[in-house]
Amino acid sequence: MIAILEQGLLLALAAMGVYISFRLVDLPDLTPDGSYIVGGAVVAALLRSGHGWVSSVFLAALAASAAGFITALISTRFKIHTLLASIMVMTGLYSVAIRIMNSPNLPIPRFSTEKVLSYEQIVGKTPLDDILGGLENFQYEKEGVKAAIVPFNNKADGHDLFLIVLFVVAIGFLLWLFLRTELGTMLRGYGRNRFAVKVLGVNPNFFALMGLTVANFLVGLSGALFSMYSGFADVNMGAGMVVVCLASVILGEIIFGSREFAYGLFFPVVGAVVYQILLSLAMKYGYRIGFRPSDMKLLTAMFVVSVIAARRFKKSEVTV
Amino acid sequence: MLRKTLTAVVILLIVSVLSFGAVRIGITQIVDHPALNAVFDGIVKAIEDAGFKIGTDVLIDRQNAQGSVQNAAAIARKFASEKVDIVVAITTPSAQACVQVITDRPVVFSAVTDPVGAGLIKQMGRNDSNVVGVSDMVPVSTHLKLIKTVFPNAKRVGVLYNPGESNSVTLTNMAKAAAPSLGLTIVDMTGTNASEMVAAVNSVGPDVDVIYIGTDNTAAASMQAIGAAALRLKKPIVAADINIARQGGLIGFGFDYFQVGVETGKLVVEILKGKKPSELESHLIGPESLLLFINLDLMKELNVSIPQEIIDRANIIVQNGQEVKR
Repeated sequence: MIAILEQGLLLALAAMGVYISFRLVDLPDLTPDGSYIVGGAVVAALLRSGHGWVSSVFLAALAASAAGFITALISTRFKIHTLLASIMVMTGLYSVAIRIMNSPNLPIPRFSTEKVLSYEQIVGKTPLDDILGGLENFQYEKEGVKAAIVPFNNKADGHDLFLIVLFVVAIGFLLWLFLRTELGTMLRGYGRNRFAVKVLGVNPNFFALMGLTVANFLVGLSGALFSMYSGFADVNMGAGMVVVCLASVILGEIIFGSREFAYGLFFPVVGAVVYQILLSLAMKYGYRIGFRPSDMKLLTAMFVVSVIAARRFKKSEVTV
Repeated sequence: MLRKTLTAVVILLIVSVLSFGAVRIGITQIVDHPALNAVFDGIVKAIEDAGFKIGTDVLIDRQNAQGSVQNAAAIARKFASEKVDIVVAITTPSAQACVQVITDRPVVFSAVTDPVGAGLIKQMGRNDSNVVGVSDMVPVSTHLKLIKTVFPNAKRVGVLYNPGESNSVTLTNMAKAAAPSLGLTIVDMTGTNASEMVAAVNSVGPDVDVIYIGTDNTAAASMQAIGAAALRLKKPIVAADINIARQGGLIGFGFDYFQVGVETGKLVVEILKGKKPSELESHLIGPESLLLFINLDLMKELNVSIPQEIIDRANIIVQNGQEVKR
């Protein structure tokens, strides 16, 4: 149960980001599928080169927020819908992440490892050596991995959970404070009515840039923490992130209905935890009632659509 | 009072008898994929061959991360918190997730190309930890020597792989290290999905003499199309995986993924019999499991000749549309 809470709360940070883009500023943004990986990739690369985890995580989130900034820039400058702009940025980030890690998968190990050798160097011979000739002057050596220092201890003693709760509460509180400021109020206003902001004499593009930057900062933070928590970054770890986060946001909204806590920042947190619980239940009992592992994505998609459809029936209010 | 105590003792006995004896094995893999499922089947086969009955002696909890790294981590935590006695992790990300969180029980990894680089173990062979396993690394420089022997005039070898798969990137780097001493140049042919792979064959293919495919999952999944595209260009494919070779390769030199599972299962059996992972050795699939596959039909179609002594050595030959095992 502790593990489920931990993962749910790690996801909650990304879900908060998706909440900001989809709900608060109303700019559908698919960048998170890419910026999540960027967060993980940067933190893995920095930790392995010996940086402290605090600065690594911060820089990772900053790199991810740059991705959101670029999406918004493309969208506002070239008048491309954010959805399309974000698909482009997300696609590009796949390559960028491999560049950052210089590999598709980068471990953040607890211990140093020795040099990596080839099959021939380890085994010595293969059945065709008499025909092809044995080892000659071929040498392959890859540097092993250096141990990195991370704050998580990976034991189910609540230490990690405490740390993650602290993170989520601190970030949630900072966001809440920000949304209360004049700037934050205008950002929320931009989401409600683009033109109203213009009347106030502020360029609305500024808020699109700010909204997506903040949103992807959170997503990158989530990716970076997840990488530290699970011990590696992988270029495929962002796939489907937006859908999962959106499912979390919608779950939170169902649970709380129309009541608002902290401008709704509370929804994705609770939603993400509930989502994680549902996921683990499906993993535990799903197979017994005939699920296949490959059905999970369909179930998630059907869930999101049916919930939106149900809400449309209830009241003719425009969502998503 | 006595009666209550007796009842309690009896219940305790029944419970302990029911749960005693049965060892719980948690097996996790990243995605549903024929090669990985073959690994699972091989593990089960090895456990059964050792005389353990699945369902009574050994309970298997099979989990699949559905391609998601987050799910792989969730499964690892689930195994860590539940009463699973032995954890078997198939593929790199699944193994990485398990090794991080499970330190008090044996973790057996399988189908990981580079377990040292992935941070699973300190070195190949014996390790002073709870982690042991089988690597599916293939003899890349032997493959290149094979290419050089069969195609003496070959200069440029195109390596077809997905840059998003760490196993393939490791093997490609090895090929790049081995190529110069054989007078070969490695050309990257990359694609992240089936259509990009075929596009890579069509665009880069004409510039290379031979196409080499490692243990790449993406290439394996789209091998029919890749084989057809290579045949149009009259370029031979040499593969490091027998099943990849079966679907359009001229030569294959590697092992069956079922065999990787069997080797993994043998380690699990040793642990079931009471050994500790620190007493076992992490190893590569041995040379005795390496099979040579040659498609003689394709050889004629491509108008190439393979030295007879190599053909004589083949374990599997395709002739007149028939697969013959030796």
